[in-house]
Amino acid sequence: MANDLRAVTTLDRLIHEPARLLIITILSSVASADFLYLQRETGLTKGNLSAHLSKLEEAGYVKIEKTFKGKLPLTVCKLTLTGQKALKAYRQQVKEFMEMTS
Amino acid sequence: MKDNFSDVEQRVKRYWYVDGFGELVGGGGMCLILAIYFAAGQYFGDDSLMDGLLQASLVLVLLGGFYLVRRLINAAKARVTYPRTGYVEYSEPKNKVVSGVLSAVVGMLLAMTFVFIVRQFNKIDAMVAVSGAVMGIILLVKQVWTARVKRFYILSAASLIYGAALSVSGFPRGYNLGLFYALMSISFAISGGLTLKKYLDENPPQTDL
Repeated sequence: MANDLRAVTTLDRLIHEPARLLIITILSSVASADFLYLQRETGLTKGNLSAHLSKLEEAGYVKIEKTFKGKLPLTVCKLTLTGQKALKAYRQQVKEFMEMTS
Repeated sequence: MKDNFSDVEQRVKRYWYVDGFGELVGGGGMCLILAIYFAAGQYFGDDSLMDGLLQASLVLVLLGGFYLVRRLINAAKARVTYPRTGYVEYSEPKNKVVSGVLSAVVGMLLAMTFVFIVRQFNKIDAMVAVSGAVMGIILLVKQVWTARVKRFYILSAASLIYGAALSVSGFPRGYNLGLFYALMSISFAISGGLTLKKYLDENPPQTDL
């Protein structure tokens, strides 16, 4: 039991951080979303959101593209396959931990 | 935990309806097209060439209408919504081919059922009641339960009431259906217009992106 509980210490800390968890969860529900949408939904400042997105991009969890929608410049963020798998594993680990402790 | 994740997912889905364009342009536009379609059928008479052409082109009218309103909604969102509250591209269904074929089959069955009902009920106008019930159920199931947009309860109820009221009105069927879709178009437009006004009031344009 104790060993099983200790599994929670192996949680992906990159995703476990609340702001990044929120960003990844939002991105997992869509094909892509732009910077403005993520900023409004997460309530983070531009600098904060930018920093978190950079960390997620470095880990290969998020792909960021500068593009245009008509004449509107967009910074579009997309969850990669690696990011999807990481979130799935994270959710599974948290679910198992919650079941063991409830 | 699951609920919290689901809440975020629901919130993202509801974003599509936040500006009211779905109702104003989508619902309002589609119902207006159908109102004109059925009124035109009645105007030209049951056995006229135009009525025959109109009946044969129902699927084309529906598909063309869907395509047109979809383009208009996207254009409106690109101009109004995305600069204010951000851009979201929704995921395609996982089994796109299967869902496409299923949608086509269901669409064809619905169209055939519609034609069958039209030919069965010559004295009692059950067609408009069926239309009201079908649209009411679609609004209730699709919008309220999957996207949890509460104002669709009112539109769903309006659809049922219009359908039931018009089925006993005694108007000719084509005008009855035309009137039903015209009323639904106005209802969608009012709902979408009020939602859009609230959205614009709450979300002024962004000065820097």
